[in-house]
Amino acid sequence: MKGILLEFYKIRRRKIWVIILVLLGVQCLWGLWAFRDMNEKKLSQGYMQCLYHFTVLNTIMMPMVAAITASKICDLEHKGQTFKLLMTVMPAGKLFDAKFICASMYMVAVGAAQMIFIIVLGKAAGFTEPFPPGYLFYYFVITIFVTVVILSIQQAFSLLFSNQMVSFVIGITGSFAGLFSLFLPRNIQRGILWSYYGVLMPVRMNWDSQTRIADLQYIPVDWSSFWLLTGLFAVIYFTGRRCFIRKER
Amino acid sequence: MLWNVIRGEQMKLRRSPVWLAFFILPVLPAFMGTFNYLQNIEILKEGWYSLWTQHTLFTCYFFLPATIAVYCSYLFRLEHTNHNWNCVMTLPVSALHIYLAKLIMASAMVVMTQLWVGVLFILSGKMSGLSGPVPPELTEWLVYGAIGGIVICGIQLSISLIIRSFAVPVGIAMAGGILGIGALSKGVGAFYPYTLLSLGMRANSPGGSMACSQVQFMAGSLFYLIISAVIAILWLSNTDVTTE
Repeated sequence: MKGILLEFYKIRRRKIWVIILVLLGVQCLWGLWAFRDMNEKKLSQGYMQCLYHFTVLNTIMMPMVAAITASKICDLEHKGQTFKLLMTVMPAGKLFDAKFICASMYMVAVGAAQMIFIIVLGKAAGFTEPFPPGYLFYYFVITIFVTVVILSIQQAFSLLFSNQMVSFVIGITGSFAGLFSLFLPRNIQRGILWSYYGVLMPVRMNWDSQTRIADLQYIPVDWSSFWLLTGLFAVIYFTGRRCFIRKER
Repeated sequence: MLWNVIRGEQMKLRRSPVWLAFFILPVLPAFMGTFNYLQNIEILKEGWYSLWTQHTLFTCYFFLPATIAVYCSYLFRLEHTNHNWNCVMTLPVSALHIYLAKLIMASAMVVMTQLWVGVLFILSGKMSGLSGPVPPELTEWLVYGAIGGIVICGIQLSISLIIRSFAVPVGIAMAGGILGIGALSKGVGAFYPYTLLSLGMRANSPGGSMACSQVQFMAGSLFYLIISAVIAILWLSNTDVTTE
């Protein structure tokens, strides 16, 4: 607990929330733009539309939010060359855990802010679709979960390499692969960590090429993908943690 | 003197694998874009032009601006750390040359990336079995794309000079790229720096002409390059350095 509080203390003047807020603001602007002229049919699928569009946006932006947060939290140790000092008062593994929990708090805040925005948008735009609390909560959980898994890989690279370019290149490449994979078959999607926003999304689009009409519908939770991601998370987190502990400083 | 500063920049980057990002990034859309093109060949009927859209659309909007931002952040990180600004500012080098040397380094990387994009496009098209010759406009797309990319380099270098964080300028570029879609849809792409890249590369309308006139494009590019250079030079000349 002290380690986590110490992390928050270290970043108290680094204004991490500013850039996160900017990116969240851009995402909300996009949402407002996408939902500015809604016809009756779109209003009747309002929340599904939101969950679908925000999932695509999350695939583009959340890996960058995770990369930026991880970099800001880890880079201060590289710049201050404080690893040796810190290791004399706490084990490396605990430092890794504390940084991860601290950064994850920001991801939870982003997920909560998105959910609140969707609820407010639904009320303001007058969605006629019945309010789906279960699906919204599911969206909230998977958004945070996928982002936190991506955060774990970003944090590992941000801690292992003092050159933050490495972690950002991984973040951008991953985000890119995730976005592209949304157009690829599901089995390929499941092999790309950054595409899990799409894999676990609670809404599916049915495109009728004859009538050229797109229709949205809720789909059941893909538990096999969820457990696969959980397994990936465990592997990434503990490999990253182990590499950090064993690293020569 | 400028040549010496450029050589200094080259020496700083000599052992750094920064070029790898620009090498890897275009490979991804080339591979996945071609795969997607082949999967939807019955809808995407314009051959080379459809393939070009698949290769460049997302790259221009979101990912190339962010990668350029990472590179520009890296170029200034060397000065921002280890008290190096004290050393740089006491050298008999003008602020203009410091900025220009970094701009030239970043621009060279953008030009090489564009060449690489062109090579990958031709290779992908040939391997996909596309009939017909390579579009004659390809050189134009790449040249104008490079100009748009250089403008982003200028802007990002100024941001990375003022904001000492490595991550924040990358976030700004990402946000800038996404907001650019709004600027494009409103028809003001030529007046917004982050859309010049996608405008120049005709990312969403390769078969037609640019969404703005060439004069507007060049005027917008020159304006943002000059503005970013002036801001950087004024900042370097008038602001006391901060070291850490």
